[in-house]
Amino acid sequence: MNRGISAIIPIFIGLIISWSAIPAMAADVPDAVVIGATVSQGGHFSSEVGPFKRLMDAWAELINEKGGIRLKQYGKSLPVKFVVYDDASNEATTKKYYERLATVDKADLLLGPYSSPLTFAASTAGENHKIPFIAVCANSPKIYSRGFKWLVGVIDLGPRYTYRYWEMIKGEGKAKTVSFVVEDTLHPLGVFEGSKKLAEEAGLKVLSGEVMPADTKDFTPAITKLKKDNPDIVYVSSNIPFAINFMKQAKEMKLNPKEYHCIHHSGVFRDPLGDAADYVVGQSYWVEGMKLGDAALIVELLKRAKISEPMYPWAPAYVAAFQIIQAALENAGTLDKEAVMAALKSLKLDTVLGPEQFHETGYGMINTYPSQIQGGKHVVIWPKEAVTGEHVYPRPAWK
Amino acid sequence: MPDDVIQLLVGGLLLGGIYGLAAFGLSISFGVLNVLNLAHGEFLMLGSLAAYCAFVGLGVNPFLGAVLIIPVFVLIGMGFYHVLLRPISDKPPHQLPVASILVTLGASLAIEDLTAFFWERPITGIAYSLPPLNIGGVVVSSLRLLILLFICALAVVLQIYLKKTFTGKAIRAITQCRDGAKVVGVPIASVSAITFGLAAALAACAGVFYVTLFTVTPVIGIPLTVKYLCVVVLGGMGSLVGSVVGGLILGLAEAMTAYYLGADWSPCAAFILLISILIIRPSGLFGSNG
Repeated sequence: MNRGISAIIPIFIGLIISWSAIPAMAADVPDAVVIGATVSQGGHFSSEVGPFKRLMDAWAELINEKGGIRLKQYGKSLPVKFVVYDDASNEATTKKYYERLATVDKADLLLGPYSSPLTFAASTAGENHKIPFIAVCANSPKIYSRGFKWLVGVIDLGPRYTYRYWEMIKGEGKAKTVSFVVEDTLHPLGVFEGSKKLAEEAGLKVLSGEVMPADTKDFTPAITKLKKDNPDIVYVSSNIPFAINFMKQAKEMKLNPKEYHCIHHSGVFRDPLGDAADYVVGQSYWVEGMKLGDAALIVELLKRAKISEPMYPWAPAYVAAFQIIQAALENAGTLDKEAVMAALKSLKLDTVLGPEQFHETGYGMINTYPSQIQGGKHVVIWPKEAVTGEHVYPRPAWK
Repeated sequence: MPDDVIQLLVGGLLLGGIYGLAAFGLSISFGVLNVLNLAHGEFLMLGSLAAYCAFVGLGVNPFLGAVLIIPVFVLIGMGFYHVLLRPISDKPPHQLPVASILVTLGASLAIEDLTAFFWERPITGIAYSLPPLNIGGVVVSSLRLLILLFICALAVVLQIYLKKTFTGKAIRAITQCRDGAKVVGVPIASVSAITFGLAAALAACAGVFYVTLFTVTPVIGIPLTVKYLCVVVLGGMGSLVGSVVGGLILGLAEAMTAYYLGADWSPCAAFILLISILIIRPSGLFGSNG
């Protein structure tokens, strides 16, 4: 009897130890991939990305319907969960929330906010807390010149934002002169600086570069000067409200260059302008009908999120970011942050917007295509392998 | 005079006219009620959105829309006054502006956020244009010219209203001496509400033209209010003529500075002008010294 009890006791103790170890072992397996982000649901950027929480939720829903993201280390797929705050388009608010996402919400990855100024502020949280930070719509070179190790960005740098447009202009050899009208904010200034060089490399003469405050309402001085200079191309480097106000007054004052280029010219650009928007060339990441990437994924997510791509042209860039996150996690096979960051840095992926690979300083390769508004629709006009229509040059003059 | 200068003068005056219209209402509410309405820009924004709905949904011409919108926003403004401002209207004169700032700022933020939540269009504008006039080589926007003429007509109508009608005289009486007006039987509360309604309607009217010329988002209210406050201070608190003249001067200063020195100097020039005039005449161009 005593021998029997002596045998049972060690077994019993062993069982108790094993039983108490189960919660600890289970605690090592996360129950979801937590992605932290902010969206500008309020403030001046809400016009660009206001409903994008729905886009994130739509992607999470789609992935989770398929079982989640397969992570080898845990022997299973984990569901994706977004934790999203409203940054109100404000830098201080953005910085605060990314710190919260890192320290309180314990995000596994951080998805950047919209715009270079907000991303500049937010990305310090990723760097300080060593969490992979994927910047989406942020291409100011300043973001990537800080030597950050925990940062990658989906899109190419701002100065190269319109390089395909200038390739096209050089190839056509028709335009000889260009004048720039520039909104005095980070992104348009960066695009302007790069475009000025690209225009000169394409053989054009830069006649002027007028930098104006973002809230400029009266363009009479600038348009008066442009009428005197008479450039072939009037290139408006600005966000949409500035571009709309400029184009309205340009039409009122009958400024008739051979081409208008407005770097941002999505659906919200067209509606307040009516036929004044016709034949304006701008830049698009994606237009329906383009032979580029998995268009079905973009269409599906936009449908689920009830987002119209012409009204919110940055949506495809976010879809590319989601693909990058999924690929990096699957390649890493773990939520260990160093492994995920290494997977991101070495990633080579064909995304919905074309091939992606990150430069050593973090910025990506994805860039825009020149597209022209024709008959109320955006038509990609360069390069030949991506076009959905012909470039109309010179534009019909306003009479 | 070179064509460029004439073009700039015309452009600056036309822009200034819009500033003047928007500043009218602010001038009235402060001059009569001693209320600094920081929600003024929100009425402009709401007027813009209403004009957009009327234009796109019903095909209503903006000029007709500006007339139709007046009674609607008079009622909205009166409701705003009764709910939010009447409770603080009995505060001592030195406390009322501060109290009104707090109340109207809170209201402004609430209106902004509610509008941003419910109004899903990120940027709003009306695709309405008229062929410009070409007068001796100078291109004049006929749309802006019509707006300026409308503003002048409105100013005349308002002056007649203030001089010839009982309510108008009551408004002037309150401006001159609130207690005296009370003594002679002017119903202060209802006249104040009508005044505020009028101010809101003028802002909404400005909003109709604003959305025709520029773009509108739900968050433009507060920055616009600050700008029009400068116009009101420049022209003189409580002076309708001052608001128009102040707006015209500001529009001209911005246009000339932008052309000769660069657009980034325009805001600086506007403020230098404002400060200079206030140093010479602290009550503004047409403000009373008392």
